[in-house]
Amino acid sequence: MGIQFKTDETFRDDFSYRNSDAAILRFPFPFGEDKYMYSVNIEPHGKAGGSPAFDHAFDVDEHYVAECRERAIVLDHDPKRCQVLPHMMPAEWDTLELLMESLSTDYPEHFSLTRDGTAWHWINRPLGLDRRFVFGDASTLPCGPFEYITRQAQGDFTLQDQRDDNLYVDGGMVTTQADWSLEFDIGMSFHEWHGPVPLAHEIGVFDRALQYLLRLQYGHPVRRLNWTMTINPRLDTSPENYPDWGPDRTTVTAENIAGKLHLRVELQTLFRLPRSNAILFGIRCYLISLQDIERVEKWRKRLHRVLATLPPELVEYKGLTRFHHMAVSRLAAMDDGAPLSLGIQPDQARLPA
Amino acid sequence: MSDQSIKSRPVYQSLAMDLSGLRHLLVSDSPAYRFEAPPDREVEVWFVAAPDQEGRIPPSGTVRERGFRSPRHLIDRLDHRLAQERMGLRLYVSGTEGFLWDVFNTAQRAGMTRQEIFQCQSGTQARRVACVHCRTFNHGVTTTIVRCDGCGANLFVRDHFSRRLSAFMGVKIDAEVAGEVPPAEQAYS
Ligand code: HEM
Repeated sequence: MGIQFKTDETFRDDFSYRNSDAAILRFPFPFGEDKYMYSVNIEPHGKAGGSPAFDHAFDVDEHYVAECRERAIVLDHDPKRCQVLPHMMPAEWDTLELLMESLSTDYPEHFSLTRDGTAWHWINRPLGLDRRFVFGDASTLPCGPFEYITRQAQGDFTLQDQRDDNLYVDGGMVTTQADWSLEFDIGMSFHEWHGPVPLAHEIGVFDRALQYLLRLQYGHPVRRLNWTMTINPRLDTSPENYPDWGPDRTTVTAENIAGKLHLRVELQTLFRLPRSNAILFGIRCYLISLQDIERVEKWRKRLHRVLATLPPELVEYKGLTRFHHMAVSRLAAMDDGAPLSLGIQPDQARLPA
Repeated sequence: MSDQSIKSRPVYQSLAMDLSGLRHLLVSDSPAYRFEAPPDREVEVWFVAAPDQEGRIPPSGTVRERGFRSPRHLIDRLDHRLAQERMGLRLYVSGTEGFLWDVFNTAQRAGMTRQEIFQCQSGTQARRVACVHCRTFNHGVTTTIVRCDGCGANLFVRDHFSRRLSAFMGVKIDAEVAGEVPPAEQAYS
């Protein structure tokens, strides 16, 4: 039967984005324990782990069509949100192959790929695309291969070149980011682009994460969850457009917080690419409103405990300062302090009305 | 915003000759530079005249020295020179941070590697600030907050540095509440 796409949703202006009950229950809730601190939280990217969002290499859900449209709007305003340095062309083709193979294998009712040597035929039914092209010949596509395929995927992507025992972010499609700029960061090394993150450098998180990634093997992708909070279901919270979305942070009140405040979770996946030896980093963004979190008993209690004990440096870095206390006091009233199961799974199969 | 130490910015050293090089070129954005080469090695020096020269090319002391009117003038000529270079050149750069990375990027485009380029910061600590919103470069910034030449936003100068842009990031400080702009402090001079 396939996925029922919500084709009319928006992530700007009237913000009509909503999650169905099924989308809430499959949400990759990022807190497996009552406290949160940075760590090298990297694990193999396979089916287990507490959310069906992990079942496929690249998760496609009911927001697919609307997110691809949102991406096109952002790129129309600012084409530099997609940039790849010229030496990364082999990694561009690797990315196209990985995405087309994964999507057509995992969602055959929506995507199909037929290969005859270098003559490829790609069909994307939700977006109404039917394209024959020559693999390896960029002139047979309407734009670069990386841009072509990431315009047809949910979430941001970056390409890391590996050299001198380091990773360099030498390309990306970045339109749904939590406040970082590809135009500013492109070409930086692992520690450079992570420069602004507080505390994590000092406790060795980035040293160890880099060592882990340098040894990443083809065919053994890994993942981690990262999170922040966003006012309104807005995907494009770029520093470029901060003058436009910054004022949203002042609009939160005790009355409207449950509808306005969204937990923003990034399912980050890392794939070694076969020909280029580059690493593809997927940053798949999921948004859920506070009122929808509250419908899951375990999640509302856990979110309360995590927010109440969050280190002040993280509150500030993640931009929560103006509404953090409001969220904590609202959630405190719904938390009896009872012990919660470890792990991120919701522990309930249905939602109250 | 509580940026701590600047992880994206390198720690610059003083310059010392890399004896594995066959030819050595020092470029400086001022006539005052410091470089000590072993007596048996030759170093070519390109330097920018002091501003009081007002466009005159200063006479050079030796054949190994060459003056330029401005950093831009020097880098344009360097671009041309590097296109004709072969393996074995070592490039030493002395000057303000913006100049160091403008030269570095020019050299990389010409095919030089990180290992062949040496940088030493000297002169003003003033920052070049790239507005993340409108992409205008603001030069010679000495304060924690600067009004963007391009879009007029009051930018907070973040401690996040891009070598490619040769600039720090400027982010609108009162994006959330218009007019909430603390007084700018003198910080980099
Ligand atoms: C290799 C691909 C990766 C890329 C391109 C990437 C990129 C980024 C960027 C751009 C930021 C925001 C920095 C800013 O404020 O400007 C960030 C934050 C962060 N990254 Fe990464 N990252 C990668 C992998 C990892 C890995 C493997 C870890 C594992 C520990 C990690 C941990 C973090 C943490 C803890 C933060 C702070 C997030 C927050 O508090 O919201 N990153 N990353």
